[in-house]
Amino acid sequence: MDVAERALFADTVREITVQNTEDELDAALDGLGWSEALAEDRPTAVSVLFEAAGEANATSSALDVVLCSVLVPSQRDAVAVAMPPVRTCDAPARIDGPQVTVHGLATRAIGRHDSVVVVASDRSGHASFVVPTAALKLEHIRGLDPDLGLVEVTGSLEQRSLAGGTVADWRDAVAVGQLAIGHELVGAARAMLELARVHALERMQFGRPIASFQAIRHRLAESLVAIEAAAALLAAAWDEPDPVFAAMAKAVAGRSARTVARHCQQVLAGIGFTTEHPFHRYFRRVVVLDQLFGASNELTHGLGGDVLRSGSLPATFPL
Amino acid sequence: MELAEFKVSVDHWLDEHAEELEPEFEGIGTLDEQMAQLRKIMRLGYDAGFTRWGWPARVGGLGGSNLLRAYLGEALTARDLVEPGNYSMPEVLAPTMIDFAPPELAATMVPRLLSGEEIWCQGFSEPGTGSNLGSLACRATKDGDGWRVNGQKVWTSLAQYAQRCVLLTRTGTPESAHRGITAFFINMDSPGITVRPIETMHGVPEFSEVFYDDVFVPDERILGQLDGGWAVAMDLLPYERSTALWHRVTYLQRRLEQLVSLAPAGALDPASLGEAIEQVWALRARSRATQRRLEAGGTLGAETSIDKVLLGTAEQAVFDLAAESLGAWIAVGDDPESGRWRAEFLYSRAATIYGGSAEIQRNIIARRLLDLGADR
Repeated sequence: MDVAERALFADTVREITVQNTEDELDAALDGLGWSEALAEDRPTAVSVLFEAAGEANATSSALDVVLCSVLVPSQRDAVAVAMPPVRTCDAPARIDGPQVTVHGLATRAIGRHDSVVVVASDRSGHASFVVPTAALKLEHIRGLDPDLGLVEVTGSLEQRSLAGGTVADWRDAVAVGQLAIGHELVGAARAMLELARVHALERMQFGRPIASFQAIRHRLAESLVAIEAAAALLAAAWDEPDPVFAAMAKAVAGRSARTVARHCQQVLAGIGFTTEHPFHRYFRRVVVLDQLFGASNELTHGLGGDVLRSGSLPATFPL
Repeated sequence: MELAEFKVSVDHWLDEHAEELEPEFEGIGTLDEQMAQLRKIMRLGYDAGFTRWGWPARVGGLGGSNLLRAYLGEALTARDLVEPGNYSMPEVLAPTMIDFAPPELAATMVPRLLSGEEIWCQGFSEPGTGSNLGSLACRATKDGDGWRVNGQKVWTSLAQYAQRCVLLTRTGTPESAHRGITAFFINMDSPGITVRPIETMHGVPEFSEVFYDDVFVPDERILGQLDGGWAVAMDLLPYERSTALWHRVTYLQRRLEQLVSLAPAGALDPASLGEAIEQVWALRARSRATQRRLEAGGTLGAETSIDKVLLGTAEQAVFDLAAESLGAWIAVGDDPESGRWRAEFLYSRAATIYGGSAEIQRNIIARRLLDLGADR
């Protein structure tokens, strides 16, 4: 997409994420032709939608569509895709002799589909299978953020009864999932900062807006710095496709969003601790998103460990 | 000249002349040695054409985008051939001359800077004027076809080596604040200038107090408009946070790389190392976007304060890690290599102070980027 097309696309996507969530958002994205945009320009389609969804606190099954486009590019109609178990980037299933043991997460879209793509690992690598949804046990997760609609997926299947078994690009799928969630975290962080900014300008104490106090201003400035660091790393990770950069960007996006949550909650003070103010929805969302496709502390520890083992730093972004 | 072609010729030149370009000292060297090395690199780079690329022809440059300058500094820093802070001085001062000096003055002077023939400095801060630049008091009063400067500057980097100075003076009333400031391009050998280097905790006397006692400067050395010095300063400061900052990112990557290979087994905590890497890579991603915006003809402003905050944080993270994992070197080592790590660790403490403190950057972000209104 060129600059003008991208701006128009972004405006439209933002509008529909503000107005819709869940199934209605899926329908609106269909109407917009978002999957076609994904096929044409993945970085733009993913970054624009997930940042807008994060900002609007909306959910959709777009992540399934994105993962499906990487794992099963031949699939015309997107199906549900099993995601890694919480905190990790591991494949959601393990091949153990004739058995395939499934333990992962899914979006609520899994309830709408008859089959689900499950990537399984063994010593030699990864394979993807198309598994009947009915063969798996689905449990809706409430947890910290019930609105997110996460589902726990478990099961134990006979390998020979499964269709597919093609070699899977699991690393690529994880990288794209990390970038998508990274953008959602950035969007949610921007929304938290805007809520806190507006509150700081409206809330009067000692006869002046609290936005005039340096203690407040510096927390909000720190929040913007954290957001822009994550946004820059995400953009660079699309420019220079490398699973190491995607993991870094996800780690920084998760950590930044939690930093922003901390500062903005302090600025919002009492009202931000209630369910009468929208802040809590974003707070819940970013804490849970930080745990998907590798928690920031796991990814960061893993990066440091890899560098110590290999003795060399990751590649760098060329000028 | 395209960037890809430039990269190849720079790398080739650096490989071919590796021996000639190498510093003659071990470790960090004295400041005299560092400056001699810098001038050698600038002279060789100028003769080979490299330090001229990325600057316009009217000041002796060969044209091409800012990315060429960014890459040259990156390549020199990655090979430990220059100290990035000293090397980046033209990145801050040459654009000021190009934008504000009378054209013939810029055409005469800028080549001397790019060729290492001259070192320049920047006289902004005063004992009573740090973050509040608009309060400066160093006074210039009209005298015939020029001006007489009286006052004191402080934290003037490399003043003891400099032949010229971009100097901010008060030409309006004391109450005129940012409206009554004029910038001059002053010769440092003018009678009445006294330079006193300041001993620093990292042992490199890189900045000085400079005293101006009835120093004469002719009218044609005004940069920009009379009483228009604020615009000069505001134009200059973002340059400290663009190409100069890019060079510094490369330096941090280089030190991280060396730290990983030097730290004793088990001394580096994987989580702290991972976080420092993430901070430096995020800074590089941010700085790269700034470089590209500059290349596309964009002007730099308040958003570069984000780059500066990220730099201070990342630089301190890298050297905090060094202080932990190379603790013995930094605390009790007396060899040149230990001396270098110690000096650089100490200097990293200034990363949130120089070039506009971290607090001033946050004030700029709050006011200009978050639109939070006045702070009082």
